Amino acid sequence: MLRRFLMAWLVGVLTCGGAQAEPGVTPERVRVGTVQDLSGPIAMLGAPIRDGMRMRFEEANARGGVHGRQLVLAVEDSGYDPKRAVLATRKLLTRDPVFAFVGTLGTPVVMASMPLVLEAGRPHLFPFSPHQATYAPLHPLKFQLFAPYQDYMNAAVRAMVARGGYRRVGLLFQDDDYGHEVKKGVEAGLAARGLALVESVGYKRGATDFASQVARLRAAECDLVVLATVVRETVGAVTEARKTGWAVDMLVTASGYSAQTHALGGAAMEGLYGVSVMPLPYAEGANRALADWIDRYRSRFGTAPNIWSAMGYNVADVFIQGLEATGRDLTAARFARAMEGLHTTRDFFGSPEYRFSADDHLGNRHGRLARIENGRWVLISDYLQ
Amino acid sequence: MRPALALLALAAVALAVLGVDYGLSQLAFVATWAVAGLGLVIILGQSGQISLGHGAFLAVGAYVQAGWVALGAPPLLGLGLALAAGALLGGLASLPGRRLGGLAFGMSTLAVALIVEEALVRFDGLTGGASGLSVPPLVVAGWTASDPLAQCAVSAAVLALALLACRRLRDSRLGRAWRAVRDDEVAAAASGIDTGAVKLRAFAVGGALGALAGALYAHWLGYLSPEQFGLPLSFELLMLAFVGGASRLMGAVWGAVVIVALPQAIALVREALPAGVANLAGLELLGFGLVLVAVVLWRPAGLAR
Repeated sequence: MLRRFLMAWLVGVLTCGGAQAEPGVTPERVRVGTVQDLSGPIAMLGAPIRDGMRMRFEEANARGGVHGRQLVLAVEDSGYDPKRAVLATRKLLTRDPVFAFVGTLGTPVVMASMPLVLEAGRPHLFPFSPHQATYAPLHPLKFQLFAPYQDYMNAAVRAMVARGGYRRVGLLFQDDDYGHEVKKGVEAGLAARGLALVESVGYKRGATDFASQVARLRAAECDLVVLATVVRETVGAVTEARKTGWAVDMLVTASGYSAQTHALGGAAMEGLYGVSVMPLPYAEGANRALADWIDRYRSRFGTAPNIWSAMGYNVADVFIQGLEATGRDLTAARFARAMEGLHTTRDFFGSPEYRFSADDHLGNRHGRLARIENGRWVLISDYLQ
Repeated sequence: MRPALALLALAAVALAVLGVDYGLSQLAFVATWAVAGLGLVIILGQSGQISLGHGAFLAVGAYVQAGWVALGAPPLLGLGLALAAGALLGGLASLPGRRLGGLAFGMSTLAVALIVEEALVRFDGLTGGASGLSVPPLVVAGWTASDPLAQCAVSAAVLALALLACRRLRDSRLGRAWRAVRDDEVAAAASGIDTGAVKLRAFAVGGALGALAGALYAHWLGYLSPEQFGLPLSFELLMLAFVGGASRLMGAVWGAVVIVALPQAIALVREALPAGVANLAGLELLGFGLVLVAVVLWRPAGLAR
């Protein structure tokens, strides 16, 4: 009698546990959280990322949702302040909880909030941060889409040397974590071709005058200069070189691959090489699917999309593909298993194929070469292996 | 008594409305920021000096604590070390005050913040540089303060002790000397007060409290990077002191409530707004600005007058 009672109790407890709802998931909807900067120093990135994600979710919902569930995007503003990000994350974990966190923006924000997310057993997906901790060490619930600087610059430098036969490569780098990561990738790429940097010159974040750095690179007789710069610094450095009559080839990282680079720099930017991890969504010359997307975005948000809108849309799309692969019975563990088998195809943006596995949660390590021709970036290679 | 009751009522409402974990997280940060604000109240409100780079003290406390626990040393001792490091930096930051006054001295405190931030980036072997470093939860005698309740309890206890200590200082001979320097530095000097030493002590106390808050912040956040301690943090703390009221110790607590919890409250209000309005970029910043303007207009001496 006692044994039967205990069995019944055990079955009751287990089924009760089994029936316990997955946070953020009901038969009708899946609630997803994202922490963006909508009021801080990188709000010009946060707002289009949010809109891109929102647009992809709305499209999925208009087609009946994913496995019959509508997608709800809960957006919190961190203002790029990790303290606010922690509070926002706690809010998304405890008040009307979310199933997963997708596309959180900014390294300090991600690094402060990710441990809370993982501790709560929620998937932490595709954050906009190049930090290695977003995918390594391997954690069942951590997934990343974006290629690290070191990996894609290694491949890009090898490809450039093979194309142009450069022998004297120099580097202008922002003297911080970003610049040093790029430097490691450039050095590795050159070493693979039996070369070394002939000159590397740093600058402090926010610098506007590059005369001395460009003079040093020129004195070293560089035939290719790699720029570990962001948009404004790219424009400053290239303009300085051209102003002094130095027509050296230059290659900028994906941080300088922006429509603003040629918009701000004008004719001086012609011929600049860059690395793209996701093509810019130009309206002019767009394929039909991309042109439709640009029109839809414009009519939905009243403004033209930029690269960040496309990236927001892209992360939401990969998340939806993960949900579809998981099936109707949605739990964090099942979702993570489905993600490990996910292999996306190239979409109308021309984004890379993302491939995950049980021991690699970084979806892509590759970029492709681009060049500014006639006032816009033109892709000149496929994704470099 | 009445302000304490009002704060307790506010905390109870926060827990009821926000949910326990989210509410306690808020309270933990409010209490931590109040400790940092107390340091600024001592410097600004009591001794009448200006500190435009108070974020530097939090940075020193946070990184000293992070380095100390990374060595495997007991975190409680680390808090003491952070306190001492903050006091030392505060003392150093006050030295230009012996020759400079007013805005020029304020600028020298701003320089301290810039130097500290730059040093955190440069000495990357110790600090992790711009990539930052992770900090484990606070462990005291085998008990780990990893959940919001524990964090809130520790911060509240530290705040209570800091308030008691500051009250004693305020009512002491040193407190009277601070106020004498604040009200008229020449008259204070004529009365035999060593104004340089008095300012140094105000900065040492302010720096120590800032560093203590920084050390707790390091544990509550779990990740440090130099950009977290830039000038925006120093200005946020200044705003905290002005909104709360720099002339009263409780001003630090009220200021912290506004600075930490107000953006969250506005985010909650935003959820209730129609989608078209709620999605406007910068809405929270606008709301925050409006509330600050209202406080300055209606309570110019701060909330704790």
